[in-house]
Amino acid sequence: MNNIRLEIKNVSKNFGITKALQSVSFNINRGEIHALIGENGSGKSTLTNSLAGIYQKDNGTFILDGKEINPVNQVEANNEGISIIVQELGTLDGLTVAENIFLGHEDRFVKIGIKNTSAMNRRAGELLAEYGFDRIKPSDMIENYNFEDRKLVEIVKATYFDPKIVVIDETTTALSREGREELYKQMNNIRDKGNTVIFISHDLPEVLKMSDTITILRDGVYIDTIKSADIDEDGLKKLMVGRDVTGKYYRSDYDEEISNEIVLKVQDVSVPGLISHISFDLHKGEILGFGGLSESGMHEIGKVCFGASYDREGSVSLADGTNINDIPTAISHSIAYTSKDRDNESLVMNQSIRDNICLPSLDELSNKACLLNDKKLKEFADKYAKQMSTKMQSVNQFVSNLSGGNKQKVVLARWIGKDSDILVLDSPTRGIDIKVKQDIYQLMDKMRKSGKSIIMISEELMELIGMCDRIIIMKDGKINGELKRSKAMDENSLISKMV
Amino acid sequence: MDNKDITIRALKKQSLINRIRSLLPFIGLIAMCIIFNLLTKGSMWNSRKLIMNQVYVVLISATGVFFIMSMGSLDFSQGSILGIASIVVCLLSGKSMLLAVIGGIVAGALIGAFNGYFYVNRKIKSFIVTICTMFLFRGFIKYMASNSPVAANIKIYDYDTTAIKLGITATVLIISFIVFRFTKFGINLKAIGAGEKAVKFAGVRTDRVKFLIYVLSGAITGLAAFVNIVKNGSATANVGNQLETQILIALVLGGMPISGGAKVRFENVIVGSLLYVVLTNGLIMMGLTTQAMQLIQGIVFLIFVALFADRESLSVIK
Repeated sequence: MNNIRLEIKNVSKNFGITKALQSVSFNINRGEIHALIGENGSGKSTLTNSLAGIYQKDNGTFILDGKEINPVNQVEANNEGISIIVQELGTLDGLTVAENIFLGHEDRFVKIGIKNTSAMNRRAGELLAEYGFDRIKPSDMIENYNFEDRKLVEIVKATYFDPKIVVIDETTTALSREGREELYKQMNNIRDKGNTVIFISHDLPEVLKMSDTITILRDGVYIDTIKSADIDEDGLKKLMVGRDVTGKYYRSDYDEEISNEIVLKVQDVSVPGLISHISFDLHKGEILGFGGLSESGMHEIGKVCFGASYDREGSVSLADGTNINDIPTAISHSIAYTSKDRDNESLVMNQSIRDNICLPSLDELSNKACLLNDKKLKEFADKYAKQMSTKMQSVNQFVSNLSGGNKQKVVLARWIGKDSDILVLDSPTRGIDIKVKQDIYQLMDKMRKSGKSIIMISEELMELIGMCDRIIIMKDGKINGELKRSKAMDENSLISKMV
Repeated sequence: MDNKDITIRALKKQSLINRIRSLLPFIGLIAMCIIFNLLTKGSMWNSRKLIMNQVYVVLISATGVFFIMSMGSLDFSQGSILGIASIVVCLLSGKSMLLAVIGGIVAGALIGAFNGYFYVNRKIKSFIVTICTMFLFRGFIKYMASNSPVAANIKIYDYDTTAIKLGITATVLIISFIVFRFTKFGINLKAIGAGEKAVKFAGVRTDRVKFLIYVLSGAITGLAAFVNIVKNGSATANVGNQLETQILIALVLGGMPISGGAKVRFENVIVGSLLYVVLTNGLIMMGLTTQAMQLIQGIVFLIFVALFADRESLSVIK
C-alpha cells in the first residue's frame, strides 16, 4: 500500500521581495515523525504555515492522502486533518482554556444557536485529564497561565481530534524539560496511531533522537530527505549550512581565574511569587550562568538585574554603590538586557532596524543642541548591524520582516552599539540556528575577554556548560546550587539540582 | 545574478508604491484647489484670505494632536481645551496681552495634564479619558458663556493681522517639525506608537513621555486659543465645538496612520489641515446644505482612512 500521507509539489512563496520558498517538493509518510530543519529564514515555518492555512502559498500543490488541499485558514486546515503548534504563543487572551481548545469548532457545543458552556468545559476537562494536565482548569482565563502551560493547552488543542498531520514548530525551546518530555510523549502517541508529526527544531540532538526522517531546507530551497538513522549531527550541520561547520562552538578554555572585582551585587532580592531571597555577585569578565526549569524564577533574575522587575524587594547595586531600580538607570550605567520575549520586550517590531539599534544610544548620538542627524543614525546602525552580520536589505527595513536569528542580531547590535559593560542575556539563542548561535557564542567569548561581564540565563544546559565560568541552578525561586566551570561537568550534574 | 535583478526591481517597485502613497495627500490638495476654483469660477482663490483665516487654529492645534497620535493615542478634548483657553484669554486680555497668551497656554497645559494623569497614572484608555474631559470642560464653558459670550478687550483686534497669525502658526510648525524629526523625543514618540513595551525595555521613560505629550498638546491648543480670540474677539458657549473631529479628519486626510508608529510623517499635519479647510470651504461655496456637506465629508473621510490605515500594525488604539 502507498504509504505517502502528504505530497508537497513545487510549492513557492514570496514575501514582497523575499523568496521564502522556491519550488519545494518532497513527500511525507504515514506514521512517522518527520523533522524539518534548516537555518533561520530557510523556509521551514513558511512551508508548514502554508500547509496549515496561516499563509497562502503562491504556487504549487499540497496533496493529502491523494486529494489536493488548499486551506485558507486554520479552521479549514483542521477540518482537512492538519493542525499546528506555532513557534510563538498560539492561544488567545480573553478566552477561557476551554474556548481556546475548541476555537473554531464551537459548533459542536451549539444547540439552536446557544453555546453550551458547561458541556464545552466538561469536554475540555476530560481532555486535559486524559493528557494528564489536570492542574489546568478549563473555565479559567488563558492569561492566568504562564507560557509553558499555555503551550500545553496548545498541544491539547492541536491533537485531541486525532489529526492526520500535526505540525510542531520550534515549540521545545520554549518548554522546560518536563514540558518537552510531555511533548515527546504526545509525538510518539501520534506516530503510534499511524498519523504524522512534522517537527521543526533547531536542537539537532533532539531532532536525531525524536525523528524518523529528516528534510533539510536551505534559503527556501529543498536540499535533501534522509533517514535519521543514516546521519549524525555534523552531517546535518553540513547539509544545513552548505559547508563544513568549522571552528569551535563553545569556549575551549577551562582554568582561567575569575577576577575578584565585583561589578554587580544582588542582595537578598525577592519578587513575590517568583523568587525569594536571592543573593549573588557578578565579577568582572565572567560569564555567570543561570539554569533551571522554566518556572524556577531564573527568567525573573534577568529582569531584576535590569531594573525591570515590579514589586522587587532587596537591592541590586553596582560597584560604585549605584542602586539599579529602574530601566533607564540600568542602561545609563552600562547594563544591557535581551529578553526571552524577543518580539515584545526586546524589539519594536513595526519600526526600522535603524531606530531599533539607535533607541538607547540617542543621547550619545545627539549633538550639543540635542539634535539628531539622519546620516549619523544610519551610519551608527549600519556599523553595528554589519558587525553582527545581520541579513538585511538596509537598516531602513522593518524588524518585523526579519527571521528570529536576525532579530536577535539586531538586539545584540543595539547593546554593542551602546557599549554596555554588563550584559544580561535571557535565552539568547532561543529559536536560533547553529550558525548564528556560533556567532553569538564567539561574541560572548570576545566580550568576556575584553572585560565585560555577562549573565546568561538559559534552558539549554549544554550552552550553559559550554560557556559559563559559574552556573547557578535555580529551583522553586531559590538558589539550589552553584557549579564552577570544569571539563567534568555534564548535564546530569545540573539536572540533579534542578528537579 | 538574475535573482538580484528581480530583487532590485521589486524593491524599486515597492518604494515607488510607497512614494505614490505618501504623495497622495499632496495630489489631493492640489486637485481639490483646482477643482473648486474651476467649479466656483475662481471665487475660491479670491477669498483665499478668508479661507486661510480658518486654517490657523486647526493647523496649530492639530500639531499637538499629531504628537499624541504618533504614539498611537487619541485626544477628543481639543475643542473643550480651546474653549476654556479662549475664555481665559478673553478674561486676561484686559490686563495685558502677554498675560493673556501665557494664560491661554497654561490653561491648555493644565487640561492636558488632567488628561495625561488619568491616561498614564490611572491607566484609562486615552479616547475614553478625553471623551470624558471633552464633556466635562464643555460643561464649564457653557456655564461661563451661555448667558452672554465672554468678550475680549477691544485692543485684541490690533493683533488681527496676517503677520501675527501666520507668524504664530509658522513658529509652532517649525519648532514642532524640528522636535519631531531631529530629536530623541520625536524618535521615542514614533517608537512608542510602534511598540510601547519594547521601548520601555530600551530605557525610555514612556509614562513620562506620554504625560508630557498631553501637557504639550494642551499648551499648543492653548496658544491656538489666542489666535482664535484674535480672530473672533469673544468666546461663545460653542467656542471650539467639534474642533477635535476637525483635527482628526484633517490628520487622516493628510495621510496619518491612526495607530501612529513608524510611518507617521510631519507633512501629514500641514497638508491635512489645508486639505480639510479647502474641502469644507469649497463645499460651502458650491452652495451645498449642511446635511449634504456632512454626508460628503463622511464619505471622503472613510475613503482616506481606508487608504491609509496601517494594516501591518494591527495594534489597538491606546
